Formats: sequence, C-alpha cells, structure tokens
Amino acid sequence: MTSLFLDIVTTAAILYVVATGLLIVFGVLKIINFAHGSFLTIGGYAALVVTQLGLSPWAGPPLALLAGFVLGAVVEMLIVRPLYNRPLDAILATWGLSIVVVQLITIGFGRGTNFVVSPVKGAVVVLGTEYSLYRLLMIVVALVLGGVLVTIMQGTRLGLVARAVIMNEALAQSLGINSARVRFITFSIGSGLAALAGALITPLLSVDPLMGVPWLLNAFMLVLVSGTSLLSLLLACVVLGGAQVVVSTYGNPVFGALTIVVLAAILLRIRPAGFARV
Amino acid sequence: MIGRFGLACMAVTGIVGAIAAPAAFAEGDTVTIGIPIGLSGANSVVAPSVVQAAQLAAAEINTKGGILGHKVVLEIADDNSGADGAVKAYNSLIFQKRVNAIITMETSAARNAGLPVVARGKTPFIYTSYYEGRSCSPYLFVDAWVPDQQVATVVDYFMKEKGARTFFLAGSDYAFGRGMLGFTRKYIEAHGGKVVDEEYLPMDASDWTPVLSKLKAANPDALISSTAGGAPNVTLAKQLRASGINVLFGNLAVDEGTAKSIGADATGVYISQSYLTSIDNPQNAAFKAGLEKMFGPEMKTPNDLSVPEYDGIYLYKAAVEKAGSFNEEAVLKALPAVSFDGPRGVIRMDKQHHSPLTMYLGQVQADGSVKVIQVFQDVDPGNQCPKLK
Repeated sequence: MTSLFLDIVTTAAILYVVATGLLIVFGVLKIINFAHGSFLTIGGYAALVVTQLGLSPWAGPPLALLAGFVLGAVVEMLIVRPLYNRPLDAILATWGLSIVVVQLITIGFGRGTNFVVSPVKGAVVVLGTEYSLYRLLMIVVALVLGGVLVTIMQGTRLGLVARAVIMNEALAQSLGINSARVRFITFSIGSGLAALAGALITPLLSVDPLMGVPWLLNAFMLVLVSGTSLLSLLLACVVLGGAQVVVSTYGNPVFGALTIVVLAAILLRIRPAGFARV
Repeated sequence: MIGRFGLACMAVTGIVGAIAAPAAFAEGDTVTIGIPIGLSGANSVVAPSVVQAAQLAAAEINTKGGILGHKVVLEIADDNSGADGAVKAYNSLIFQKRVNAIITMETSAARNAGLPVVARGKTPFIYTSYYEGRSCSPYLFVDAWVPDQQVATVVDYFMKEKGARTFFLAGSDYAFGRGMLGFTRKYIEAHGGKVVDEEYLPMDASDWTPVLSKLKAANPDALISSTAGGAPNVTLAKQLRASGINVLFGNLAVDEGTAKSIGADATGVYISQSYLTSIDNPQNAAFKAGLEKMFGPEMKTPNDLSVPEYDGIYLYKAAVEKAGSFNEEAVLKALPAVSFDGPRGVIRMDKQHHSPLTMYLGQVQADGSVKVIQVFQDVDPGNQCPKLK
C-alpha cells in the first residue's frame, strides 16, 4: 500500500514537471505546441552532453533549461510569431518542427539509445519500504518548480502582465502592454521548462531521438483538462496520474498507458472546463 | 527521411566495397544476393552491423574466386522494419533484380510478409535473425536460434544452479515479446517451476514503475524479461536497479552491445546468445580482424544478428557448390546437407530447416564485458517444422 502511494505521488510529480511548460505556452499563447516533445528531447540530449563531457550530473538540468530557453526564443521569432492568428497552422508548423528536430538529433547523435549518469543512485527506506531515491527527489523538484512558477505569476510584474494577456489580450494591449514581448518570453520559458523536464526524467529513462513522443500526448491531455491554472494542473496530475498507476498495478500496464487519455476525454465530455476553476 | 539518409550511407559503403574487390570475373558472371533489411524503423540500430557482415562475406568470397566463378553482388533494400516495406522490397528484389537468393535478418512482421513473395519466386531464403520460432516454408532456412534453444539455457541454469522456483516474466507487448515469454512460461511450468506473474508494457512505454511494484510484491526467485530492443531494455535495467530490487535477472532480448552500453546498471544480468564477441576460436578472430580491416573506425560491433548473416552467405555458397549450379531447386535440396565452420563454430541447417547451435550463457560484469558462465553444446532447435525434413 505504501509503495502504491509513493508510485502515485512520484508519477504525479513527474507528469507535473513534464506538463508545466506546455501549460504556460497554451495558457498565454493559446496555441498548441506540438514541438513540446522535441524540446523535452533536446533537454535529454543536453543532459547527455553533460554526461559525455564528464561534468557533474547536477549540471544537466540547468544547462537543459538554458538550451531550451535559447532555442525556444529562436523558434518563437522564426516560426511561431507569424502564426498567432492561425492556431491550426501553428499546430502544423510546430509538428513539422518536431520532425525536423528529431531528424537533426538523429543526424547529430545517431538513432541509438543513450544513457545519462544519475546524480543520485539507489533506493532509500521511506515509510517502511525501499523506494527509488531519484523518484522521491522528483516530488521535491515538482513542488519547487510549482512554487517558483506560482510566485512568478502572482508576485511579479511579468506574471501580472502575463495574466492580463491570458484574461483579455485586446484589453491588455489597449492598456499599453506589449503582448508580443509577453508571448516571446512565455514561449521561451515554456520551451526551457520542457527541456528542463527532459533532463530531469532522463536519469530514470534513456535518451533517444523519439523519447519525447510518449510524453507529449499525456502532457497535452493534462493541459487540456487544466485550463491555464498551475494548481488545476497539479490536481489533474494527481488524479489522472494516480488513476494510471492504479490501473497499471491492479489491471495491466497496457491499459494503464491509456488511462490518462481516456479519462481526460471522458472528463472533458462531462465537464468541459475539466479541473479548471474547481 | 532516416531511411534515405541511411540508404545513402549504405550505397556509399557498397560502392567502396565493390571497388576494393578484384575484378577478375568475366562480364555478367555474377550471383546476386538480396538483403531486404530494416535500414529505417525499429531495426535501424542493428541493421548496419548486419550489412557489414554481408559485405565482408561477399568480399572474402570474391577475392577467392567467387561462387562457381561468379562474382557475389549484394542488393540491399530497405524494408522499413515492417510488413508493407518488406512486400515492396521482396517484390523488387525477386522480380526486378532477379536475385539468386534472399539472405537476411529482419523483424518477424517483415519475414512473414516476404514469405509469400519468396514462394512465388521459388527463391531460396536464409533467415538469419533469432525469432519466436515455427515459421515453416520449403524455401525458408534459419541459421539463428529459436526460443527452444535460448530459453532452456537461462531457465535450466536458474533452476539447477541457483535453486529458483518462482519466476516473474516481464516484456514488451508485441509478437516477439509475447512469443518468447509464452514459451518461457510453458517451459518453466513443464519443469516444475511456477510463474507468479506475467506483465507487459506497451512497446514505446518507458516507465516500468507499476511492473516493478508488482515484482516487489510478488517477491519471486528470478525475473526473466523479453522487451523490444533499445530503450525498453535500458529503462527496465535502470529502474530495477534504482528501485532497490535485488533479484536474479535473465534478459532474453538484450545483445552484448546494448548490455555494454547500459553500463553498471546491467551488472549481474544473465544473457544467452549463440554468438559473443569473446568466443575464442580462429574463425572468430579472423572474422573480427576482417571487419576491422574492411571498415576501420566505421566498424560496428558484431553481434548475434550480424554473425548469422555472415554464416548464411557462406552456407549458400556451400549449397551452390554442392549442387554444382545456381538452380533454385538444386540449391534448396543441398541447403540442409551443407555446413560452414564460422565464428560460431560449425553451423548446419539440418533440423527441419533450423540449426542446432552452441549457446553461451553469459553474465554482464561491472566493466560491461560479458563473462561466459556456461556453454551448452549443440542445443537442438526441437520440432520447429515437423512437416519439413
């Protein structure tokens, strides 16, 4: 029972870390960023480069955040910016971008599966059962990440402006807010967070050019049921991620993998707002 | 796109190979071997090593006068690791390129899709990949292992030497994964052991948490896994290690190279193969030296999928020489009767079109090398195709 509880909490934490970047981009820009998965992959490869250079594994996540931020800024300027008024074209463009990124990574690093060094190893005894230390660490990471983002949104000028753009962009613009700049910064931060998540999950997994794909769909569904709120996302991750763990443990993992997608679809049918504004 | 890029690389290597071979053959006196293979898709990681093994065999044969004085030419076609691509590749190789034989390593899906085309063309087909077994056709010969040969080595060792009685099976949800573990379950139960649970994860999934929780709760004597190649193998090994579960672990689907690259997390894992790079015989030494000389820094580590390809081409050569002609019918008749002494020892496809093989049970060491624990001489493939001789 304890290990089921830990599985649920750590799975929710990992999902939260993966989905926040997408939520921020979707919330402010109202576009669906299909390249989110490839930024995640870029983060994984950033961690891989750190391993290959023999640096401390702790350097992986910050480097990934930086790489994602910079690349996100470039992508926003070149690809996303002209398409804000054409959300469907933006889906196609970001999807195309994700294919290009995968191919570039394949050319640069090969198709093979790679591994990064984990900053912490092994298991610790917690609540009377042995459990993976790194997964436990992800709970702390998710809470810190959520805390920092909520503080930015609620306590800084950037957050205030971003919230204004989320609520009513036309009004925000008429009040003199440079919404193009808000979008630019938001997209860059969102991409940086995606890459950060990629670097954070790789010690548990492996690095390959398609590593972002399975995460994209789940993150996407979680964001759809959460609207624009970071707290709703947390709730969605605990409920849907928890359901996934329960189905996988008591049913089988093949159905478990479908749980988030199916439950999210049902939830949106019954309650279009999902977990938003609960 | 990957396919085209990979194909371009192959084409370049092919040309280089052709130039390196001496041109002492009469114009038009060639024998063409078709290699439909997964240059793109799931097999793309291992395919280059298989192509290299084929190129080495062809180059060696050509410097020694070819097959019956005919120069060996390889026709390589991408099957995209799946059925659709395989049908196209086989049709083009057999009916347009008019290959004399198909000798290749492929996914089971691609092999099954290619077999009807092979039957229409009446082309000899040597399949060089280990697979789930019981694929039977008068045109098909197999020089790699089937579950009957591999599973037995791991399970017998665990039961007899380690006293294991309860087993937990974990795999990827696809034909090979389910086929291997289905056979493993039957074998364990037939020998007095007990399978406490059998769990599958979708092929592209990477989070083994629920399976590991069940494993921990079941507390079996041993874990046996058969996952898809690449990522699932790696993630299982890493997460198992991180979860603190310490259990006897046999991996049916990991090759030496992957085990090596997983590194310390694979330490202690048991694997069973018909080829390990450390096999100590002159044929293997010559084979490895040949690859090194031909490909230099581009050389891929030979493995249990690439070596059978090398053996397969030599087995075809032996059959043609025994038959005295390239006539398909005569070659098919000769194939079960010939043998080749290669890196894996003497290979003979004389058991219902399958091969008795020497299997090596190895254990991954902390430095990534594979230590041979036990050698099982000439393991019989069992009754794979009772209707074939």
